[in-house]
Amino acid sequence: MTTALIVLPLAAALLVWVLPLPGRAAGMLALLAALAELVLWVVAVAGFDFDQGLQQEDRHSWFSDLGVSYHVGFFGFSLWLVGLTIVVSAAAIGYALWVDRERGRAYHGLLLFLMGAITGVFTSQDLLLFYVFFEAMLIPLYVLIGVWGGPRRLRATVTFVIYTMAGSLLMLAAIIVFGLSQGTFSLPDSGTSSNEWVFLGFLAAFAVKAPIFPFHGWLVDAYREAPAEVAAILSGVVSKAAVYGLLIVISKFDQSVLHDFQPYILAFAAIGLVYGSLLAFRAPDIRSVTAYSSMAQMGLIVLGIFSLTTVGVTGAVVQSVAHGLVSATLFLLAGMVETRTGTSAFAGLGGMARGRPAFATVLMATGIIALAVPGSVAFAGEFLILAGVYTVGWGWAAVGAGAIVLAAMYMLRLISAVLHRAPGADVREDARDLRPFELALVVPLVAALLFLSAWPASVSERSFPGTGSAEASE
Amino acid sequence: MTAGAWLCLLAPLCGALLITALGESISRRTAAWISTLSVFAAFAGALIAFVDMLGRGHEEREAVTTAWTWLAAGEFHAGLSLLVDPLSVTMMLIVSGVGGLIVLYSIGYMDGDPEERRYFAYMSLFVFSMLMLVEAGNFLLLLVGWGLVGLASYLLIGFWHERPSAVAAAKKAFVMNAFGDAAMALAFFVLIWQTGTLDFAAAFEGAGGLSQTFVDLVALGLLAGAVAKSAQIPLHTWLPDAMEGPTPVSALIHAATMVTAGVYLIVRAHPIFELAPSIADLAAGLGAITLLVAGVIALVQTDIKRVIAYSTMSQIGYMFLGAGLGAYGNGMFHLMTHAFFKALLFMAAGLVIHHLANEQDIRRMGGLRQAMPRTYIAFLIGSLALVGIPPLSGFFSKDSILASALASGGYGRLLFAAGLAGALLTGLYTFRLLFIVFLGEPSALVREHDHGSAHGEGPWTMTVPVAVLTVLAVVGGWVQVAGIWHPFGEWLDPIAVGREHLALVEPTVTQDYVTSVLAVGLGAVGIAVAWMIYGSRKWSVPRVPSVQRTLEHKLWFDELYDAVFYNPGERISGLLRRGVEEPLIGGSIEGVTLGAREAAGALGEAQTGYLRTYALAIAAAVAVLVVVFITVQ
Amino acid sequence: MRGPDVSWYLIVSAILFSIGAAGVLLRRSPLIVLLSLEIMLNSANLALISFARLHGNHDGQIFALAVMAVAASEVVVGLGLIVAIARKHLDLDVDRLRVLRG
Repeated sequence: MTTALIVLPLAAALLVWVLPLPGRAAGMLALLAALAELVLWVVAVAGFDFDQGLQQEDRHSWFSDLGVSYHVGFFGFSLWLVGLTIVVSAAAIGYALWVDRERGRAYHGLLLFLMGAITGVFTSQDLLLFYVFFEAMLIPLYVLIGVWGGPRRLRATVTFVIYTMAGSLLMLAAIIVFGLSQGTFSLPDSGTSSNEWVFLGFLAAFAVKAPIFPFHGWLVDAYREAPAEVAAILSGVVSKAAVYGLLIVISKFDQSVLHDFQPYILAFAAIGLVYGSLLAFRAPDIRSVTAYSSMAQMGLIVLGIFSLTTVGVTGAVVQSVAHGLVSATLFLLAGMVETRTGTSAFAGLGGMARGRPAFATVLMATGIIALAVPGSVAFAGEFLILAGVYTVGWGWAAVGAGAIVLAAMYMLRLISAVLHRAPGADVREDARDLRPFELALVVPLVAALLFLSAWPASVSERSFPGTGSAEASE
Repeated sequence: MTAGAWLCLLAPLCGALLITALGESISRRTAAWISTLSVFAAFAGALIAFVDMLGRGHEEREAVTTAWTWLAAGEFHAGLSLLVDPLSVTMMLIVSGVGGLIVLYSIGYMDGDPEERRYFAYMSLFVFSMLMLVEAGNFLLLLVGWGLVGLASYLLIGFWHERPSAVAAAKKAFVMNAFGDAAMALAFFVLIWQTGTLDFAAAFEGAGGLSQTFVDLVALGLLAGAVAKSAQIPLHTWLPDAMEGPTPVSALIHAATMVTAGVYLIVRAHPIFELAPSIADLAAGLGAITLLVAGVIALVQTDIKRVIAYSTMSQIGYMFLGAGLGAYGNGMFHLMTHAFFKALLFMAAGLVIHHLANEQDIRRMGGLRQAMPRTYIAFLIGSLALVGIPPLSGFFSKDSILASALASGGYGRLLFAAGLAGALLTGLYTFRLLFIVFLGEPSALVREHDHGSAHGEGPWTMTVPVAVLTVLAVVGGWVQVAGIWHPFGEWLDPIAVGREHLALVEPTVTQDYVTSVLAVGLGAVGIAVAWMIYGSRKWSVPRVPSVQRTLEHKLWFDELYDAVFYNPGERISGLLRRGVEEPLIGGSIEGVTLGAREAAGALGEAQTGYLRTYALAIAAAVAVLVVVFITVQ
Repeated sequence: MRGPDVSWYLIVSAILFSIGAAGVLLRRSPLIVLLSLEIMLNSANLALISFARLHGNHDGQIFALAVMAVAASEVVVGLGLIVAIARKHLDLDVDRLRVLRG
């Protein structure tokens, strides 16, 4: 079952590449594959027993003498992360089809390949396999940004690759040391490690991927230069690979190591949270605001994970899903604004609410959820994270609560700058409201957010079996 | 009982969703009626719950109903649960009843606005949020409602979003309320950490076992939230700006319901405030300061809605005063009567604004009594109720708060004096407004709009709600007459007095009468002074330029906050951008790229292109390996 | 065991390897370099087979077969390259063919 979820997009990617279809048809095939993947996922959820840990496993020995195996399976929380991946990727593929990217076969194949790789990351139960998928994500991203990106795409691609490669090489070294010292690379079979250098090696990769301050140098360029739907996947889903990685890390290291590093990690996460929020407040365009707010949100999620409490970790999972949906929607909307006005800079925007009710409603709803208005799923995630981290120290929660106010400020600024006041210089009268196909892409994302807002416990109760989780012990 | 509560909660939500989903496929008028009917359906639900509850004994009047687990993690659970008890039913009746009247009024007021559908969707959303707030069965849901009313308030203040001032006011209101939300969330974290729950009953029980510091922290967080929402000093500056919204919005959100949520919160969480007496005193003190400051500022405002807004702040100050001193029943009583007469005042002001084509400056008004006689009567009754002239509703409720303050001795006497001074100010600013707007000779503007009003003072959708509220403003106070009968207090008794029946202040009959005489006397003096200055114009307006300027700048609060929070925040943000992000982070990228390129260049030197160099390197490496293997062996 | 001792085979293998290595290092013609490489590979094959015989199992022989297959494909590619170079009228001199320098 789990293997099918990984293989389906990869096979579809191959098919899209090989079949001599025109771009549109390739896009439709890709969209079909993504929807089929969604159906598979629903089947997986239906068959999942949330009172148990790892399940729906597939395991085959790979290098038996090193203890490496192809081993995939689901935990409760990884199920949600995979669901997020599929929903966001499907919307992204649909958007690529809508704007009809050049060389459609290559483009859609890469998107499908990316989808498969990310699914692999979220299901790997073997460290080496995890590494393979983690790196495999890079390849399509590299090409997608480098070939189809904006005017400064080369610089963005190079920095992105250098940063992530540096991080993941350190992680590879850490994985090898960890695996050899444990005698197995299997996650369920291995015990915990107390090696601080290995811990730092893992941390390096995830700190870059998340990103955590000060490893965010690649962030803004990549988010600004990437095609809108790639930016949506990048910020919405790929950054969550770091979340999954950190969840592995906190379950595979001794409490002593974790507690030694906890204050420093919390400090950097909190700095990232405030720093990202402050910069988002001054950022000049939709994409930069979303990029910096993503950075702030990732800081918040890391705060939750390294609270090392069940409540905080659960909150981190909820927040990951919420933020993934929110930032993907915002990037897609940014793309839709760009196709109409040619810019996402606030200087040329404004007044788009008048006469464009669908666009205004969708952007307003997303923005309001993004600023974590109480009652939204983002609020539920933040609340749990801060409640968890409060038990570590009240100061962390106070910083987080302050960041809520900052989040309100920058998101309201974004909403007003796009929707309100007099029409901006680049907003022409004939810039149309969202078309039905565009609505069909973003409305499911918003609907998912609203559903989760009405019932955040659907994720939070079903991420870790029982009350005490395997990932976090008090 | 619970079915009524669910109907009450969900009807407006369904209304809002329906209007949003149907979009342009329904006419604007249909959207308006969907919204109105949804709110009246909520009122019907509240009535069902109320009638059901009346038929029960005191002990059976409380019920908790849970739909599903809203949020759970680890040991922590919070259900989507409603608490139905006399306190919440009272609030439900006020919110949905007054709300329904105001939404009905909006049909006339908003008629012709191109975005009417959006307006009515927002109104229904607001009513839903407010009901969520008052019906919440635990603190988390209360915070949800708390945030959602803030959101609805933001949306409605900024409804006319082409106006930069409206957008700015909306943002200001939201951010200040977000600050309050954050403070409340922090209080809840203490509760979760220490008691593991946010359910009202369990949390109150658990709070009894906490150390004084923790209880104080919790109470302080709650108070910060209450102060922000109820626009009390020092988090009050958003309320006057919020008058940028349509007038029915001001009537509903910024007078009758949302801004009084702070009072509701204190009453709801009274066991915690009783455990933290210093914070409760602080609440009462803030209320007293606010009622004075707002009353003084109201004296110089020139915008008809802003005068009423400051009056609202001032009246909520009375409620805080009462609730802070433990007179919960009286606080709630004043909340109710205030909802009637303040909504009435706003809606009467709305009739005036509507009549004068959106003019709000009172300096351009005057002599409207001839053109709008019925509006004048409604406004007069609202004003008299506000000042507390018997037998109108404000008299009973305000005096009951003041009597409680007098009875609680020491600190209470000080607050009592402040309250009396406030009564004088109330008379003064209320009737200044009334005399300027309605008496005297018709101004140029009024004459200009006079001939066009052949169809009376407004459509029936606007005049009927005003008439209903006029009646309520008269009779609303008769449910509780000091020394004679107390059905309202008894109704709220199980909640408002506390299950432990703590010894709360209970004024004697003498104190009641002394208070009434003083308060009514001072209010009358205020009216008389206003008459001399603005009515008969026998006295000229006293001018002290520096005081006037300070008051017109609202005691410089906005300027202070800009200087202390906004400007430094913006500057730090800019500084981070120029000082950290660009040189360090951006610089590091340049550095890394440059380093990689140079390292590649240096390594490239080794690639000579001569095959034999490579072959030699391989051979040499093999030789080294051979030597290594031999020596290791 | 019949035949010479294994050490003789190894000596022959070592001599062949040295000849091959010297050829690769010293000669300039790509054709001769390729030829020398083949000598080296075959010397390695000789060593593999003799060890296989010494230990009495077939792993070495299998490995030698694999080497032969690789050598054959290598010759194909190598000769193809040489022909391509010759067709472009370039010098058949490995010291002149250095466009890949860094």
